[in-house]
Amino acid sequence: MDTVTVEPIEPGRMAAGCESCAAHNAANLRRLGVDMSDWDYVVALAGNPNVGKSTVFNALTGLRQHTGNWPGKTVTRAEGGFEYGDARFKLVDLPGAYSLLATSLDEEVARDFILFGQPDVTIVVVDASRLERNLNLALQVLEITDRVVVCLNLIDEAKRHGLTIDERHLARRLGVPVVPTAARTRQGLDELLQTVSDVATGKIICKPHRARHESPDLKAAADEVEADLHRLYPNLPNARWVALRLLDGDEAIIQAMQRGELGDLTRSAPDSEAVNVIRLEAAPA
Amino acid sequence: MGEVITFWVPWTLIMLALAVLFWPGRGLFWRQRRSKEERERIQVEDALKYLYFCEREQRRPTVAGIAGRMQVSENRAAHISQELQEMGFAVMQGDVIKLTGDGRAYALHIVRAHRLWERHLADETGYAEREWHARAEQAEHSLTPEEADALAARLRNPLRDPHGDPIPTATGEMVNEHGQLVTALEPGRSGRILHLEDEPEGLYAQLVAEGFYPGMIIEMVDQSSDRVRVWADGNEVVLAPLTASLISVQPMSMREELIVEGAETLADLEPPEMGRIISLSPRCRGVERRRFLDLGFVPGTEIAAEMISPGGEPTAYRVRDTLIALRKNQAGMILVERVEG
Amino acid sequence: MTTATISQGNLTPQDVLEQAASLRLRVGDFHEKLVESNYAEAADIADSVVTRPERPAHGLSLDQRIDRLVTSRLWGFPLMILLFAIVFWITISGANIPSSMLMNVLIGRIYPLLHVGADAIHLPWWLSGLLIDGMYLATAWVISVMLPPMAIFFPLFTLLEDFGYLPRVAFNLDNVFRKSGAHGKQALSMMMGFGCNAAAMVSTRVIDSPRERLIAMITNNFALCNGRWPTQILIATLFIGSLVPAYLAGIVSALAVVGIAMLGVLLTFAVSWALSRTLLQGEVSTFSLELPPYRPPRVWQTIYTSIIDRTLFVLWRAVVFALPAGAVIWLVSNIQIGGESIAAYFINWLNPLGLLIGLNGVILLAYVVAIPANEIVIPTILMLTVLTTGISGMGAGAGVMFEANSPAGAMAIFQAGGWTLLTGVNLMLFSLIHNPCSTTIYTMYTESGSRKWTAVAALLPLAMGFVVTFMVAQAWRLGAMIFG
Repeated sequence: MDTVTVEPIEPGRMAAGCESCAAHNAANLRRLGVDMSDWDYVVALAGNPNVGKSTVFNALTGLRQHTGNWPGKTVTRAEGGFEYGDARFKLVDLPGAYSLLATSLDEEVARDFILFGQPDVTIVVVDASRLERNLNLALQVLEITDRVVVCLNLIDEAKRHGLTIDERHLARRLGVPVVPTAARTRQGLDELLQTVSDVATGKIICKPHRARHESPDLKAAADEVEADLHRLYPNLPNARWVALRLLDGDEAIIQAMQRGELGDLTRSAPDSEAVNVIRLEAAPA
Repeated sequence: MGEVITFWVPWTLIMLALAVLFWPGRGLFWRQRRSKEERERIQVEDALKYLYFCEREQRRPTVAGIAGRMQVSENRAAHISQELQEMGFAVMQGDVIKLTGDGRAYALHIVRAHRLWERHLADETGYAEREWHARAEQAEHSLTPEEADALAARLRNPLRDPHGDPIPTATGEMVNEHGQLVTALEPGRSGRILHLEDEPEGLYAQLVAEGFYPGMIIEMVDQSSDRVRVWADGNEVVLAPLTASLISVQPMSMREELIVEGAETLADLEPPEMGRIISLSPRCRGVERRRFLDLGFVPGTEIAAEMISPGGEPTAYRVRDTLIALRKNQAGMILVERVEG
Repeated sequence: MTTATISQGNLTPQDVLEQAASLRLRVGDFHEKLVESNYAEAADIADSVVTRPERPAHGLSLDQRIDRLVTSRLWGFPLMILLFAIVFWITISGANIPSSMLMNVLIGRIYPLLHVGADAIHLPWWLSGLLIDGMYLATAWVISVMLPPMAIFFPLFTLLEDFGYLPRVAFNLDNVFRKSGAHGKQALSMMMGFGCNAAAMVSTRVIDSPRERLIAMITNNFALCNGRWPTQILIATLFIGSLVPAYLAGIVSALAVVGIAMLGVLLTFAVSWALSRTLLQGEVSTFSLELPPYRPPRVWQTIYTSIIDRTLFVLWRAVVFALPAGAVIWLVSNIQIGGESIAAYFINWLNPLGLLIGLNGVILLAYVVAIPANEIVIPTILMLTVLTTGISGMGAGAGVMFEANSPAGAMAIFQAGGWTLLTGVNLMLFSLIHNPCSTTIYTMYTESGSRKWTAVAALLPLAMGFVVTFMVAQAWRLGAMIFG
């Protein structure tokens, strides 16, 4: 497959001792109401309101869930599934949100699912014609999980408005695969499925962009907490983000830590022998 | 006329009776609900709060002071102060009443409950700002410490109430009430001096000699690792970072700074004018503020007035490639500077 | 400031939390700075990957030109009125034929066949009555009156929505709603309410501010729904139209119906205003209205999904409620205690209250048992009136709803029931101002998740209906005493 985004390959390495390579957290998923017994991988679908997220969902699952041309229409969480290659993927449609700072219920639902469910892949649907606004959410998703595929949707609409988007450069800046699609006409969906499957099976390993402007005060405090978190949970994949949430007084994270749930989120770094691993790494600006 | 008598008269009487009983806040039912003990407890708690604020502001709390603050007779005030001592919350030293450790902890809980409740009203309800204080005055007496903790957790452990006053934590700590260090000011921003730390003595003397005083407005010019330059009363003063770190300031909001310079708000832009967002007014709080941030109304963002509703408002603005309509009072809370299109 | 000191070695989560909590007091609130820097980063990346077209000199995109037109001072409102007039006209004229076809099939053909079938297998009379005359008939009635208009109205509405026009309607009308403490998007749920209040409950989802959404839900009942228009038209024709010479009758009764609908709109604003200042003042209120880009709607998919999502969804709920209601209607009319039906007892018991508010016991009982759908109120009233007055040659038997074959036939039954002009006027008022149908109430409950606000939405209009009809009746009688 000709992935749009692929950077040079570092051969001979693959996820550690995993046959199926599923990385999701089945216990937490069950608590979140997702039964994984018939599925190999779980894929979360995130995105701003009104970016055609439901169209992508319907196109991938063959379901028909209607949502109108309104911001924030998906009120309940929809689930569906699809098969690709030999694997069965469960697709969970998260509520549309502008950010993941958990200031509203929708945002909290989306955030908790990505954080605690540890989906094998999170597809972030972004509106190609309003990239700046949409990247805001994508960047926040990248803080929490590195298994992300950006679905650059409504690419036809962007073209109609005369916009051209350098998706290869975008993938380099973000450090994750970017697939341009026009879900309404099913354009690009095969590539999307292929890329999702590659990330799920560990053929593509992402190393996302995580840069931040922090005031010196904040940076010092965050460094301190992050160092503690690293000592406490050496494998926590998103310690910096957790540190900042704690400094922001985020009660959901504080309680998760008191209950010891944060400790469950450790994940062994994918590195061992395998063929064809594609490594994506965020390039500096 | 028989019908009038049989139907109107009883109905009217029933309505009147209901009004007398249940009129919000004043009906007999509501009056009766506040028992005598409860009134007594509320007075004790109010007195504790008064003592606590006196202590913070370094005033001398007296029985007369209690009477004045709580608008009760001197006799009543004396009775309350007596009760405070019996409960172990205060001791008399001459004619000055002093809080004990227990009393201070109790007072802090009341202050915490009050400020948390205001935060809750601002963030989670639609009550008008003018009602917050009165409602919090009631709620502070009914929240238990456990309820206050649960409320704090739900509100994501806020550091300040909507007026900017710090909220004590359950253990009585609070975010530095002396504002922030002057070194935290960004270049070009101003602040009002709240506090000059008087230790170490030599450095403090130096500050006083340079003419710094609480209440003075200073502006940050720039700073490096070995010197801090500020404007103070029309003079440029260069300080060593260590010396400067004795100064705490209340940073002036952009709004305060700009009122002087005559800043404009988004509501002043007419289509097709453009502007750049300077800041969100502090009046914009809670859910509304979060919504604005979510929608990308953050400082530095370019924004263009696009069209006005035929009804007169709202106006649609283009912000980060999206059209978003805001009402006039909302647009008035976003400070902007004009940009040529 | 205390900083938790952490002993090397055995670090516990609690230690880290305490550390973070105390550092937090030093750092202060940085939430907004974080949002700001995140956006700055996003803008930086977007700038580096997106190439924008050179702005054309006269610079308006197609979207902008459409927006200029549909929100213009001159054309905005006329265009809106025209579009909605077309939608309503297509709905009303388009629904007539399928509606009468459904009536013909479900009630004209299948209904007698069911009776034939029941006789053939010797079903006892009470069972066939309960199942066929009660449950089947009520359901068939609801389906044939409700389904066609909804199946036309909803797709049309959805097409406008998907195109992106409806947010512009909210934009145009927001100022009126703002003044009554509501959200511009309430214009749309209101419009939807003229089709079906239950579907309108779902449509309030687009209002993302809690207080305004509750206002839209609670006041939606004042939008005269599809099930109540026929009642209004029938009563206006019989009681109001007959007051004036024949050549004026049509226009006067039409004006009366429009007047009732307008009264509903006025009540919507008045009640919205009052609610936002009293009961709902503590609910969170914000405003934001995104005007999405125009997108060409996909006609077939829209028709398919709006029929599945809205029409069948609402219809299914209505059927679920109509089945037991049909049974109840049949049972109260047929179970006899001491030689009188239960219905008669209820009617006698409700009669004083009914007369007090210018209605009668039959009407009140009909509103109680026909709660699943306003469509079956008039058939129930006709059946109950025939049942209680015992007039012969009318109706289809106890518990069997029917429609008069002509307005004059209905009038004869009403007159036999002792109706006056006051009864007609108050029935029109009460039909506008009473509790929503059970389908709507249930939908509101599932949408709002609140028993309290659902109860308010059900009981507030009911109480208002009693007060309004009571006042009108008293004023009427007072006037009659003074001038009569």
